[in-house]
Amino acid sequence: MNAKKIIKCERSKIEKWSQFQLNNHWKIKGIIFCFIIFVATIVLKFNEVNTEWVRFGFRKALLVGLLVIALSKEKTEDEMIVSLRAKSFRLAFILAVLYALIQPIVDVLVFNLLGKPISSSSFSYFQVLSFMLIIQIMFFEVLKRNR
Amino acid sequence: MENTIKVERAILNLTQGDLAEKIGVSRQTINSIEANRYVPSTVLALKLSKVFGKPVNDFFKLSEGD
Repeated sequence: MNAKKIIKCERSKIEKWSQFQLNNHWKIKGIIFCFIIFVATIVLKFNEVNTEWVRFGFRKALLVGLLVIALSKEKTEDEMIVSLRAKSFRLAFILAVLYALIQPIVDVLVFNLLGKPISSSSFSYFQVLSFMLIIQIMFFEVLKRNR
Repeated sequence: MENTIKVERAILNLTQGDLAEKIGVSRQTINSIEANRYVPSTVLALKLSKVFGKPVNDFFKLSEGD
């Protein structure tokens, strides 16, 4: 395979992957799934079943639900919607990086000001990813409403 | 970028919804284009040109800042 073929192959594969989206009906399924997980998390918080592995599973499930919502198409998926989605992903990515940079500093400040110990699980991949997905969904809905 | 899509649409007696259906976008997208909030792609501009029966330059004009 020569260089041109490799470039062409890379380009077409990236184009194909970047256009991956779920059908519109997945959006409502994702919302219901996230809602169920959210309610179940609250219920389990007050029960003795609240073990580490249950929390781990619920966090993963919530991330999957949010990802499904973020990847679902609109009823009319035209070029403006594609542009708004790209904007919302860009904003969410930038804010998530800023969040990841600032959050540990906030933790240190809180520790110094209030003397509250920093828990080892206070900052995790779940926080950053859920923040990013929620921000993306929120920005996309706001941009869509104000278009 | 400025446009006279609203005028062209009025000439053909089309609603935003009718025009949106003809070129396969949502009504809100037509509204945003008319209000200069969104600049359409070449493909969409050519679809509009086909519906209006006029060249793209007749209803899209570059503004001072472009």
